[in-house]
Amino acid sequence: DALLGCHRSYRSRPTHGIGRFQHLLPKEVPKRKKEKVQMKEISEGTEYQYGDLNIQMTSYDLCLVEHFAQYVHRLCNRLSIRVNESYAMPTKTNEVLFLEERGSKMQLDAVLTTHQRVVQIRGLSSTFAPILLEIIQSSQPEGVHLLMKQHTEADFKSRLKSRPELEELLAEMS
Amino acid sequence: LCYFSSCSSWLPQSVPLRGSHWQSSLLEFRTSLPVRAQPKKKKKVDVKKEQAQRERMKKRLKKLEKAAPELIPIEDFITPLKYTESNRVRSLPALSPEESERRVLLLKKWCLFKQKQDEAEKKAINALVESQQEALKELRLESEELYQAAVRRDEGLFPFERDGPTYTPPLPGYDPPEGKCVDITKVYTQ
Repeated sequence: DALLGCHRSYRSRPTHGIGRFQHLLPKEVPKRKKEKVQMKEISEGTEYQYGDLNIQMTSYDLCLVEHFAQYVHRLCNRLSIRVNESYAMPTKTNEVLFLEERGSKMQLDAVLTTHQRVVQIRGLSSTFAPILLEIIQSSQPEGVHLLMKQHTEADFKSRLKSRPELEELLAEMS
Repeated sequence: LCYFSSCSSWLPQSVPLRGSHWQSSLLEFRTSLPVRAQPKKKKKVDVKKEQAQRERMKKRLKKLEKAAPELIPIEDFITPLKYTESNRVRSLPALSPEESERRVLLLKKWCLFKQKQDEAEKKAINALVESQQEALKELRLESEELYQAAVRRDEGLFPFERDGPTYTPPLPGYDPPEGKCVDITKVYTQ
């Protein structure tokens, strides 16, 4: 249409499209709209490969868990294991109350925050899995609880905000 | 006509009688057949109201479903305001040349130590992989069936859980004080 847009269109002549310039300008990147949080496809894996796996690290100590997550991520990069995502789960806060020796009142002992980091990998081969587990276990720091499990939709949904109004309406409709 | 009026007398009294032909069941007292002659106005308005209500609910549902679900914000990554408001600046003392020399040498020693650690880890991984491959080769020569079974993925491996090592072993005979844990995590709703 750039060729036909101009009023001088002698298509048979060799000078056709002489005034074209739009194709020479640098490509304008279209404005990116806000990306909707959508669940990515969960792969099941074949007989010789595991699908999406979640390596979840939980601890009370934030620095330890962050550094361990970074270490695991770099290890997977070095061993050319595909890392889908590496994210943090929301922190949980717990208030620890204990009963005084002489008295019936509960006294506040401490406020503990539990931090969790997740590294999601895909395509781990069945022969290499025990080796990776061994390496991660040998470098597990103190107080960090390790959990490896397959990724499910419920895991993804636990990261999203709850919508009580939507649920109420759905319950009313059905 | 006289038969209808005296029907109650010649029937055996064991069967409970219906008061009127509108009363549907013999056992319960208040049930009655759906009355057909209802004023028509009420019915139409009810149906319309119900339909309007349902449409309003559907509209609200559509609106809520259109909004994309949001991720829960993570408190770890949000610096509390009290650390950004104050203008406190830390003044560090000047380092003597011996001290800075000592620190640089310590840093170099640490780098070397970490490098050795990393190399040892890489060597360990390579050794493990090699020995595994050799074992699988030997197994293949032994029997093809066992080899195929060994190469398959292990379903019982996941989920895998392990607690990190502790600085000290648990104290024997420790009596913890009674108490409870209260979860005070902030619940975010959209």
